[in-house]
Amino acid sequence: MSTASPFLDPGPLTTPGALALVHLSRDNVLPVYLSNDSGMVDGYAEGAVINTRFGSFPHSTLIGQPWGSQIRASIVDTGSRGRKRKLGNFTDVDAAGNDTEAAASSTSNTKDVKTAATGFIHILPPTPEIWTSSLPHRTQVVYTPDYSYILHRIRARPGAQLIEAGSGSGSFTHAATRAVYNGYPKGPEDRRGKVWSFEFNHDRFLKIRDEVQDHHLNGIVQVTNRDVYNDGFLVNDESPEAECIFLDVPAPWRALPHLSRKKPTQSQLASGGLEPLKETSSEWKSPLRADRTVHICTFSPCIEQVTKTVEVMRRLGWMEIEMVEVAQRRVNVLREKVGLNMPSERGMNQSPRNVAEAITRLKQIDGRFKEFYKDKQDTDVNMDDTEAEKKHEGENKDNDIVESNADLGRSPTVKPWMAGRLVHRTEAEIKTHTSYLVFALLPREWSEEQEAAAFENWPCGKEKKVIGSLDKETRKQEKREMLRGNKEKKITAAKGSDPAVKKSKTS
Amino acid sequence: MHSLVEPDAWVVLRLPSGNLRVLQVTPNTTTSLGKYGSFPTNLIIQRPYNLTYELLDKRPDEKFNRLRIVPAAELYADVLSSDANTQTAEDATPAPDAEGDDGTPPTGVEYTLVDSDSGAVVASTDSVEIDASARQTLTLAEIEALKKDGTDAGRELITRLMLSHTAIEQKTEYSLAKYKLLKTRKYIRRFCVLPLDIPMLNYWHLEDKDASKIMEMREEMVALLGCWANVHFGGSDPCEAQPIAKIKQEGEDTNMEEPGTEAVQTSSPGRWIVVDDTGGLLVAAMAERMGILYPSEADKLAREQRGAKSSGSKLGESSSAQQPVAKNGEGQAQHAVKQNDDVEAKREQEEEETLPKPPKVAHKRPSEHRRDDAVPYAHANTITHIHPNSQPNLSFLRYYDFEITNLTPSPHHPLAKHLMTLSWLQLLDPDLDPTYSSPPPNVTQEEIYSWKTNRRSAFHRKRKRWMRTRHIVDTTRKGEFSGLVVASAMDPVSIMQHTVPLLAGGAPIAIYSPTIEPLTELADCYSLQRRAAWATNIPEELVEKTPEEQEQWPGNEEFPLNPSLLLGASIQTSRVRKWQVLPGRTHPLMSSKGGAEGYVFTAWKVKPAEGKVEARGKLRSRKRKAGEPGVV
Repeated sequence: MSTASPFLDPGPLTTPGALALVHLSRDNVLPVYLSNDSGMVDGYAEGAVINTRFGSFPHSTLIGQPWGSQIRASIVDTGSRGRKRKLGNFTDVDAAGNDTEAAASSTSNTKDVKTAATGFIHILPPTPEIWTSSLPHRTQVVYTPDYSYILHRIRARPGAQLIEAGSGSGSFTHAATRAVYNGYPKGPEDRRGKVWSFEFNHDRFLKIRDEVQDHHLNGIVQVTNRDVYNDGFLVNDESPEAECIFLDVPAPWRALPHLSRKKPTQSQLASGGLEPLKETSSEWKSPLRADRTVHICTFSPCIEQVTKTVEVMRRLGWMEIEMVEVAQRRVNVLREKVGLNMPSERGMNQSPRNVAEAITRLKQIDGRFKEFYKDKQDTDVNMDDTEAEKKHEGENKDNDIVESNADLGRSPTVKPWMAGRLVHRTEAEIKTHTSYLVFALLPREWSEEQEAAAFENWPCGKEKKVIGSLDKETRKQEKREMLRGNKEKKITAAKGSDPAVKKSKTS
Repeated sequence: MHSLVEPDAWVVLRLPSGNLRVLQVTPNTTTSLGKYGSFPTNLIIQRPYNLTYELLDKRPDEKFNRLRIVPAAELYADVLSSDANTQTAEDATPAPDAEGDDGTPPTGVEYTLVDSDSGAVVASTDSVEIDASARQTLTLAEIEALKKDGTDAGRELITRLMLSHTAIEQKTEYSLAKYKLLKTRKYIRRFCVLPLDIPMLNYWHLEDKDASKIMEMREEMVALLGCWANVHFGGSDPCEAQPIAKIKQEGEDTNMEEPGTEAVQTSSPGRWIVVDDTGGLLVAAMAERMGILYPSEADKLAREQRGAKSSGSKLGESSSAQQPVAKNGEGQAQHAVKQNDDVEAKREQEEEETLPKPPKVAHKRPSEHRRDDAVPYAHANTITHIHPNSQPNLSFLRYYDFEITNLTPSPHHPLAKHLMTLSWLQLLDPDLDPTYSSPPPNVTQEEIYSWKTNRRSAFHRKRKRWMRTRHIVDTTRKGEFSGLVVASAMDPVSIMQHTVPLLAGGAPIAIYSPTIEPLTELADCYSLQRRAAWATNIPEELVEKTPEEQEQWPGNEEFPLNPSLLLGASIQTSRVRKWQVLPGRTHPLMSSKGGAEGYVFTAWKVKPAEGKVEARGKLRSRKRKAGEPGVV
């Protein structure tokens, strides 16, 4: 499947046209659509070029590489292109000639682009996680700790139909697509896992639609520009038959009445403080899958939204309503180097490593202090003595240093990256609140007729055994009987052996 | 997951007290709920999940309790009515009347806990309970008697209790609600049927069973692991037409590049390595993400038919294998068809390759034996589980109808084709493994037929096992995996040492640990300083080595792992806090489970450029640049 999304099946190598993520640092990832236009692009002879703080990277050096490759920067003429363009205004023919020449040379030996010593990048296949971290903030982004938990809880599994209202930045869309993906549909009848995404804002809708196109997600993501509060979740008047729902809208309770199995009654809506649904000429069609339990999650930053949502959920018959918040922390690992003799670098704590070191230093200071005053008081002192003393002191100090360095920085056996104590701490800035997540589920409908039919198939009254919570005595009895059964089988003894005797023995 | 409770499926019954009962719904039995009563199990078979039932009183002519589905409106009646009350109370101007104190909740006295699932108040910390016993006029004997002949699912008893409470008028609205709830939890004869899926299994083990058995891995951790390791449906078998992993006794090496000649070049099959010391919870969770945990509905259908047709007597498996698949048009069913085809294709292939016999001999062989020769594993969407003992511990898979220790697992279960297990010994030194290193004797077909039946079947069994092991070991050692997920008690550094070389470039890695120390140690192997030191001064013994050899490098004291193979090593943790949402009483739960915090290490495998890489930064720039990009 050459058309598979790079998110779902990136293939072994980077290919032209595909999305790749250029990893500069942990929080600096650049999404790039690799282009193998061999001609001059944007004034670059090498074709399209990425310029980063680690140097310039022509796309040609990124294409056809195994994913995860480390790519060196190339020497790219970034300075002269502006001048060239200006020149082009009056020496058109000449410039064009130059360009084709440059383009020709670049196509013939794209691999020979000289490497620069400015740095390197890594090229990674797109995943929803890296994509999320590379997202420009169009709206509030649903981050990985939240969406991973949500998808887990709403049972978004391969083959499921998932409704997402409020596509927003698209981070959840991508993660949800990965969760429900079980192959591309081969025809209109071939029903596969699909994300039905609804977005009210027209600009965001266009953006996410283009993204779906660019990421080859057609057929597994359906984006609709819709006001779901008023117009519901049917697409082309067809039901998505969803099992999983994620509502990231300001007023989830206004969308909830559309997500019912039966048309909500006036009293249900009125008691929840909602307006009656818009009357449609056609009969009520539920966007939910009839024969499954439907799981929902709403994502709201404010507690008032939660209160309102939960109340309406209760009135509309949602079960197992639960509200949670997710707190994530990223942890930095570092080596803490404490000691008087540590080089004064950043992050070094130049305080004594332990009490002994502190005392040694205090003694030294004290000694120097005394020495100083001794000098003051007795000016006739022999200079040689003090010098000798100082020298002696210095030797002492040196010894101390050697001692304290035995398991630290500078001694030849310990490398600087292995010195110090390994510690961890939470990163400098944490997200203390993202949003409140309300989970609920709606069991499938079960009619009297269905119950009667099931009762017909599974009649009662012929129970032979008891399962479930047995009291301790019964369980023990069962165990005894089982063991006895085994024993009897082994011995194949006559049945006459009195069970009562054994029972009394064991009990 | 199925919408109806299948016979013999594992389900969870949640009782009013919040306790969970996990049991297998065996047809024609009675399910006992302890003090809440009992009911015939058949009454929940082929009924939907997530419904709340109430035990009805026995009918005069029947010996069992029937069940009634409790509608949501009834379950929420108390909450919704109190909601209405508080709203009016709040909306109205505070009128100082005689009962004003009763109407408003006394602040600072009452704390309520809420049932995490139903959202209803379940317990309180104040003195209501103590008061209750003192002021309750019903004696214990009377309550017992009421319980015995209690009618109306215990509601009568609850009402009587409330009525005979002497101080009922003195209770505030909220304490009354709590009192009622307390008594309801104790006496109401209700229960809820829940599916035993991964979140439920996880919750049950954390809360009710031994949490240390699953390394105290919370749901949010499982979810994070799955996402960061990018575990998803890994495509249908890309090698349907041409199985790449042929088992050849000659030992001819099939190259991974081989399918490259086909159109499948652009596709990389999704294969994940899972190192799991949680008894199979992690494997099951990943299998759920990949869509291979639950047997397809079609298989269930088949079993049902089988069960119906030959009530009890066992039917040949082979006949039921193809039968049901055609009926169901669902995606899973199609998947199954594909696999069947695949087996078919491979079988034919195998026939040609392993047995270059005159066709008539081959035809004589019964089809069962021909099946033996096919390696029953898929090439995409697979989990490779590496285990420290000679046998894998994946006991939780039994809740999903799959026994790993069963030598002949149900061929219909998707895990049978998509789960491969091997030990560390088999991975690292297969020649020392008795199964791998002892190929069955090469005997001719005629010889086999001259043997006695049991000897013949023993030969085939051994040969089959050898072929499976051979396939698993060889394909695993070839590497190119799409990701690595680990939840293990073993030192992560040692795991990484041997698994990182097996990963494809760009493959994500996610490692769980209940405590952070093993992970900080691992992260320190990829610290900025260490990476910089590696880049400027690679260990001498590696200078002339190829990248492959550098990947396999066993490490030394200064560099326990090759730090250039990983990118973006970082550690994170995440914790979910539950809230009670009740009208006017919304706050986080007062207590929850402590224990291991749980941490996840994530990174990506990368392919370092050959030779020395310089990183001086851009010369023109004024600002001081970090010399090393991509390092935490």
